[in-house]
Amino acid sequence: MASTAPRPPACVLGQQITVRGTLTGEEDLVVEGRIEGSVALAGHLIVATGGVLEADLDVESIEVHGEVRGDIVASQSITIDKGAHVSGNVRAPRVIIHDGAHFQGAVEMDVDLPEDLARGLKR
Amino acid sequence: MANTVIGSTIVIDGEITGDEDLVVQGTVKGRVSLRENILVEESGVLEANVETATITIHGTVTGDIQASERAELKSNCRVVGDIRAPRILIADGASFKGNVDMDG
Repeated sequence: MASTAPRPPACVLGQQITVRGTLTGEEDLVVEGRIEGSVALAGHLIVATGGVLEADLDVESIEVHGEVRGDIVASQSITIDKGAHVSGNVRAPRVIIHDGAHFQGAVEMDVDLPEDLARGLKR
Repeated sequence: MANTVIGSTIVIDGEITGDEDLVVQGTVKGRVSLRENILVEESGVLEANVETATITIHGTVTGDIQASERAELKSNCRVVGDIRAPRILIADGASFKGNVDMDG
């Protein structure tokens, strides 16, 4: 019976799957395939090696081993691992870029700027 | 073995295409086009037109289903839409409204 099929621990989008549109949710997600559009996830997102996201991402935390083209906002952390390709702007309290990762874009970490610099930016 | 799972809190609004088995525990709105097997679990909701090889429904589907091999409506499922497949099974206790076409 189909209902007895083994159930992997996490929510997974497999290698041969393409999602076009918006994905929202409140659990961890592993992407081995492709998403085009946007993702809003209150959970941990893992872009596996071979996974491709052409999407703007709003997540709790993200770990990229594959490819992301789009802006990433994370409430906790963004980790760009060795071999990953990311192009877009990233914003999170913690942004980690490992040796061997490819990244192009701006990083914003909500750093407390020195006062004079903060004043200058406001103007 | 299904290696794509749409978890119970996940909502996808758009289109899913692909070449592997899909398990739906969450919600998918829009269109699903696969060449493999779809399993809609009790908590799963498809508000979508579906094209697939086989589909097994324990949950809720609203939309037309076109299966190249088999469509199976299990007891306690709720399906509204037209079904086209060479083999269609409707279990006792299933609720279904729509047309069935086994010749198309």
